[in-house]
Formats: sequence, structure tokens, C-alpha cells
Amino acid sequence: MIVRPHLCVRLIALLLCAGRTVGAQPPADSSLAMSFGRRPPDVRGVAVDARMAADLALGIGSTFRLSSTPDGLPETVVVAAIFEPRADPAEISRTAYRVRLHLDHLQQLTGSVDRVDRFALRVNSANRQAGIGSAALVDSAIARVNHVAFGFRAYRSSDIAVQSSRTFLVVERFHRAIGVITVVASAVFLLCLLLLTVEERRRQIAALRLMGISSTTIIRGIVFEAALVSLLGSLIGVGIGWTASALVNWHYQAVYRTPLAFALITPGIVAFAAGLSLCLGTLAGAIAAWRLVRQPPLQLLGR
Amino acid sequence: MTAIIECQNVSRTYQVGSSKVEALRNVTLSVERGAFLAITGPSGGGKSTLLHLLGAVDSPSAGRVLINGRDTSEMSEAESTRFRLNNIGFVFQRFYLMQTLTASENIELPMSEAGVGKKERRARAMELLQYVGLAGRASHRPAQLSGGEQQRVAVARALANNPSLILADEPTGELDESTGLDLLELFSRLNRDGATLVFVSHDPLVARAAREVVALRNGQISSSGAKATSGLT
Amino acid sequence: MRASLSFATLRHHPARTLLAIAGIAVAAALLLDMVMLATGMTDSFRSLLLVRGYQLRVAPKGTLPFDSEATIEGADRIVATLRSMNNIVAVSPVLGASITLPDNPLSSTFAIGIEPRVQGDYAVESGADLDPGAPLRVHAQGLSTRSLGSQVISAVVSSRFLERSRHAIGDTITIAAGIDAQLREVRTSRRVVIRGVARFHYVPDETPVMAISLGELRALLGNNYRDRVSLVMAQVATNDSTSVESARLQIAEAIPKVTAISTETAIRQVEERLSYFRQLAFVLGAISLSMGFLLVSTILAMSVNERRGEIAVMRAIGVQRTSVLGMVMLESVSLAAVGTVTGMLLGVLTARWLNTILGDFPGLPPSFEFFVWSATATARSMALLLVAGVLAGIIPAWNAASMPVVHALREEAVG
Repeated sequence: MIVRPHLCVRLIALLLCAGRTVGAQPPADSSLAMSFGRRPPDVRGVAVDARMAADLALGIGSTFRLSSTPDGLPETVVVAAIFEPRADPAEISRTAYRVRLHLDHLQQLTGSVDRVDRFALRVNSANRQAGIGSAALVDSAIARVNHVAFGFRAYRSSDIAVQSSRTFLVVERFHRAIGVITVVASAVFLLCLLLLTVEERRRQIAALRLMGISSTTIIRGIVFEAALVSLLGSLIGVGIGWTASALVNWHYQAVYRTPLAFALITPGIVAFAAGLSLCLGTLAGAIAAWRLVRQPPLQLLGR
Repeated sequence: MTAIIECQNVSRTYQVGSSKVEALRNVTLSVERGAFLAITGPSGGGKSTLLHLLGAVDSPSAGRVLINGRDTSEMSEAESTRFRLNNIGFVFQRFYLMQTLTASENIELPMSEAGVGKKERRARAMELLQYVGLAGRASHRPAQLSGGEQQRVAVARALANNPSLILADEPTGELDESTGLDLLELFSRLNRDGATLVFVSHDPLVARAAREVVALRNGQISSSGAKATSGLT
Repeated sequence: MRASLSFATLRHHPARTLLAIAGIAVAAALLLDMVMLATGMTDSFRSLLLVRGYQLRVAPKGTLPFDSEATIEGADRIVATLRSMNNIVAVSPVLGASITLPDNPLSSTFAIGIEPRVQGDYAVESGADLDPGAPLRVHAQGLSTRSLGSQVISAVVSSRFLERSRHAIGDTITIAAGIDAQLREVRTSRRVVIRGVARFHYVPDETPVMAISLGELRALLGNNYRDRVSLVMAQVATNDSTSVESARLQIAEAIPKVTAISTETAIRQVEERLSYFRQLAFVLGAISLSMGFLLVSTILAMSVNERRGEIAVMRAIGVQRTSVLGMVMLESVSLAAVGTVTGMLLGVLTARWLNTILGDFPGLPPSFEFFVWSATATARSMALLLVAGVLAGIIPAWNAASMPVVHALREEAVG
């Protein structure tokens, strides 16, 4: 089977297999096993992502033809493993399939002999000297590599991660901004409603005041009521939010065919949302009550 | 004199929950043009119900109410509203002025609904305010007026479209005795000027001001007739 | 008179009215922003693609322009084929690659090789452009050539390049390609004079970039790139979608080993990738509409409830149902109208704020915007909110007009 070029097969070389492999366990002499020092088999094994396997009806043992260019000389390969893509947010919108090959196989296929895109290095902690932390060891290693480097540079993985996660920092800031706007709108809405609700009871409040009930007691009662309503509203809101979050995850996981969770509800988020709505509701109730009790009772009665 | 209102065996029954309340039972009443009638009786006797029927605000469950010869139960909702606008003036116990409008604007409201032009209705409103003795309070809002003054504005509003009939439901109910007397004097003057007035009240002062009194008890007329003397004296 | 009563009612409760307007304004602002977001990305991207009038992009088979490091082989023949097509008036080949700057604080930069005469990648902001007569192919003397002659070539760079390389217009620097890490040598190098600073349409502001002639870049990169480009841009004679699509199909048939992408196709594909924002815009827009609706209907419902006695008396003294309906609807529309207008102004401000946040997306072309103001978007938002305001007022207005007069009078008398 020839893999059509327009399906965007991307060839990625791995030194180490990352990600989970699913499907049947490859045989002991898997053609995906490390082949240093051994003559590679005639038909070499590759690992394909689960999406590609599903779309092209590939299973373990299926063969297809691979080339580095649309009109290049294709090579027959066999599916040795099927892997689930990592839940990497940076990858979700990409429609390209992923295929993993042995490094030497990809180098040979693309004609890029003795070339790689990057190396990943792990500092040997056994060499750690007393009193020197692993961070210092990594910095030292980076400095040494860069000192002798020509045409390449070494970076901390965490620094690369910060760079590559800039997208999500931007999205996070955007979401936060939207959150601020909706909180402001909700606060205004809440204040308006509570104002109306309390004002509807102006005669009741006037009667209480005329009876001798203090303003403080009245305010306390109204604030308590507002707090109770806010609390109940928060609980309902959390329920709605949880349902919406489940729907969002269900929808986008299907759309992007990823196990990535798009919306997360954590205890901290629930506490923040409930706390904020409780504060806003209580504040709105207090303002509404204060507005009313500072008017003379007779004025409240319209006299 | 011709009858402006004719009630013929009028009954009115309300459904309250699962039970029926007979607010009026077989009431027959005739009000002549230019009359000054007071409908009295204890609370819950059906006075307000009768007034609402006389004002085409409500329809009888049985019988007929004819106002200026027109059967109110044959009128559609829009027709009865139009009829009230052009023929009947209402005065209520609680004044019911629009709090957001000035005294003059409150009087102009029915005229505006009747399609009277702005200049004309403004002039008429001032004339009516003059009539009720509140010429200087045209631009005051109800909250700035006393109870008596508010009721006078309500009377002026009731007169806005030159109605042939003025109906008042406990007009002195919210007023003190002195203010109530002043208001009744105004009503008497209206009647002397040709207005037909029907009042509902349990206030004996009102009954004394009227020339005819009908007593209503348990939804039925218990007594009726002209008084030997009329007015407040 | 009815209008006076409606406005007077709103003025009578200033706090409530102002809060309602504020609530509607925030909802309106959010709605406008979401409408701008839903349409802005497409409009912005379209403007970006058409900034120099090229409606078609020809990329390596199965890829989007500069989506991968793939290049098109046999580029010169492909360019000639495109130029021979009747309906194509301009063809601009582009090669992109990473090159090094030896002994420079900026160790490497992105370079694009272009034909200055037809290039559509940048607009010179200061200094001078490249010589329009720069050759398509420079004859290099094999792979071992270290320096391609002593002639200094011209370059146009981005302002970020100048900043990071600590150079200025007029400076001469060395560029190189083909690093041999063992010999610690570069395969080829060239002396370059910076002629001008340009704004590169498709390269993010934070990325240093240099533009030199296509021939010079090919020579620098070596024989492998002698006849390669990353992308070819083509301009169709007539700008209508039918002609562009016809040209695209013609290219696909004539040159099967490439992918021809029209502006509309590119927009569709980018929209797919940014579909999250459109969906978010739709959801938030719907929520803000609902909020505006709820706010107006709640306020009116409570306002009508407060004025039961007044409304009953109005009906009793002869004010028609339609008049009462009209008065309440006028309140509803007034709240919605004032809130909407205020919200439009607020929405423009919040859109600028949100655009600034999203503008930090890495890899975004400088002129790409997420929120693009348009009269259509504003009119659409305003219309939606006004309709919502009208609808929100219908039920309270109907309730007011249909109020049983006697019942209400009785309640008020008792109450």
C-alpha cells in the first residue's frame, strides 16, 4: 500500500520510544528493536499513530510504502507498533499523521546521513559531587557544550518548555480576561437584581422600621438572605460548570481525537468561583439594603 | 330627567379558590343625569364591585348595565376602555397619580390617550387645576403634594375628557376630616355645575354630601332614596 | 405623552436604570467583541494574504506554505510554467532557510530568497530595497567554495534583526551556511550590506529575518538548493473567485507534484486550526445576548409588578392595552438602545485590550489581528441586542397590558 503524499506523512526520528504503544505486543525479534551493530532487516518496522492506523485501516503487521518526497523512491515498511499520541496541547490542531522510525532508517530514507534535528541529554547524577545540586550540574553541562559548540547550542529543557508553552500562556491570559469581563457583567447583573428584590419590599422594611427594628438588624437579615441565595446559586453554577466542562471535553476530544483534557474543574476553582459569587452576592445585598434603610420609613411608604 | 345609568337585575359572582363569592345579587338601580348618589354600606357589602360595574371596568355575571343607553356587557375590552376614556371619570381612594409625572401631566394623560393635541391639553389641564384650586402646583410631582392636593389632582384628571359620569371609590378614605370636607365641597360644586356623581363610601360625611343614598349590604340594596336635605349643611 | 411616561419611569429609578444600562453595556461589549472575533480573524488573514495581490500559493505537495521544511524541486521549470499561463500575471518564488552569522551576537537568522521585482513578502520602511535586477541563479564553484567571490550582496532586514545583531543600515556583515562541526568551518559564506529595513508581512515581529536575492540564497545553501524553492506565489489576472479557482485547478493539473492553495482555501484551513476561537465567540456571544435579554426582562417584570396599581388605574381611566404595551416596550427598547450604544464604545476598548493579549501568540505575523472592527460587525451586534431588548420586553409588557383591572385594583385597595 502506498501512502499518498497528500496525507502529510511526517517522518520523525527517535532515539528512544516515547509515548504509549497500543495494540498487539510486537514479537520478541521486533523489527522496531534497537539495531545498532546488527544488519537491519529487509523490511523495516515503523510505529504509526493511532489516528493514522484507524484512518488507513492499518494494524500490526500491515505494510505500506513510505518516501520522503511525493515523487521519491518509496520503500516498503511494516507496522510494528501503534502508539497513542501524547496529550500535547501544541499538537492538537495538527492534522498531520505521526510515524516513528529508527534514526538510521529515517536518515537513510531522507538522504540526511549523519544529521539530526537535536539531541536530548541527561546529566549523569552518579557523578554528582557532594553539595552540588542537579541544577548546577545541568548549567555546567550546558556551558561546556556551548563552549565547544559550532553551529548548535544547548538549552535547558525547561527553558524550551517555557518558550513552547507561550501559546498556552497567551490563551490563559485571554481566558482570564474573558473571565474578568463576565465577572463584571455578572456583578452588575446581580447588583441590579438584588436592588430590585430589596426595593420590592420597601413597605415591609418601612413597617419594620416603624415597629422599632433597627437598621442593623434589617441589613443583617437582607445580607443573610442575599448570601443564602448566592450560595445556592453558586452550587447550581458549579453543577452547570461541571456539566459544561464535561461537554467541552467530550466535544473537543472527539474533534481533535486526543485524550487531552480541555477544561478542568479542580477544588481550587470551585472554591474560587463559589467564594467570588458569595462575596459579590453578599456585597450586592448589603448595598441594596443600605440604600433602603437610610431612607426615612415614611418616605419608603410614599408619604 | 333621563337615566344615565341603568342596572337591571345585576349580579356578580367571583370564583375564589374552590368557592364562589356572590358579591352582588339582583341589584336594580337607576341613576339620573345630574344626580349625586352615594352608595354606602359595611365593608364587603359589594360597594366597590357595583362601582366597577357602573364604570364598565367589570362585566356582570347576570343582568345588564346600561350607561348612556349602551350595554356594557356587549362591549369588547377595547370598546369598554374607549368608553371609559370618553364618558367616565374615576377617582380612587389612593389617588393613583403617576408618581413620575407632574400634576399637569397627570391631568393630561387621559387627554393624550384621547388624541387631544399638546397645546390644547396643556391649556385644559391648567384650566382644571385652576378649577380645583391648584393653579400654582402644575409642575409639582405627587410626592410634593399633600394628600388632599393629590386627590384634587385626581379629580381634575377625572374631569379631563369632559365625562358624563364621575365615579369615586372612597375618595375621602385617605384624607383627614377637614380635607375630606374640602373635597366634598369640590364635588358638590361639580354636581351643581352639572356633573353626575356616584360615590362609594362608608364615610357618613360623604353620605351627607350626596343628594341620594343607596345602602348596600351583603350584595343587595337594603335601602335607597333621596335625602330630605342635600349637601354638607 | 406615552414616551414621557416611559422615560419618566426610567428616570424615577436612576440607580436601577443605570445599573441596567451598565449590565446591558457589558453584555453588548462582549457580544461585539465576539462578533469581531468570529469575523476578524478571517478578514485579517485575508488582508494579510492579499496584501501584495497574490491570490494563489504553490507549496510542496500536501503542505501549507512554510508549514514544514519541505521544498519544491524543479522550481525554475514550475515558475516558467506558471508564467506561461494566460491568466497569471505575476509569479514570485520564495525560498526560506536558516543561515548563520559567524561572530555575531545573533548566531543565526531566518533568511528568505526572493526576486525583488515581484516579491510579495515585505514592504521597505527605511533605507533602500534590493536591486531589482538580482540574478535568479548565481554560479557557485562547487561545494568546497568558502566564499562566493568578493562582491558584497545586498540585504533587507527586519528591525528585530538589527536590534539583535547590533547593526544598522549600511553595515556589512558575513552570512554563512553549511556548518561542518568537526572542522569548525562553514561551507559557504558571503559578505552582505544591509540596504534597508522592512516590515515582513508573514514573519512574526520577534523573529529576526533577512531578505536577499533568490539566486544568492541558493548559492549560499549549496547545490541541493540550486533549483528549489519553498513556495511560489501567483497572481491571477482577474480577482474574482471563479477565475482564481480556475487557475488553481489549472495548476493542479499541470503540476501534480505541488499543492496550489487559493486564499479561500488557506483561510478555511486556518479557520479550522483557529476554530476554537470561533466556537468560543459563538458561545460567549450567545451567553451575553442571553444576559442582556434576562436583565431587561427581569427589570421590566419587576417594574411592572411595582406599578400594578398605576397600570390598573391607567386601564381604568381609559388607556388602551396597546398604549400600555407600547409604554412598557418603549422602556425596554430605551434600556436596550442606550445600553447597546454604550456597549459598542466599551466593546471597541475591550477588543483592543483582548487583541493585545492575543497578539502575543508566538509565530503570528505582525499585521494579523484577532479583533477587527467593522461597521457590519457593529451593526450586527446592535441589531441582535435591540431585537433581544424588544423580545425581552414583550412578556412583561403583555402582562402589564393584560392585567385584570378589577383584580389589581382590589389588591391595591387591600394592600
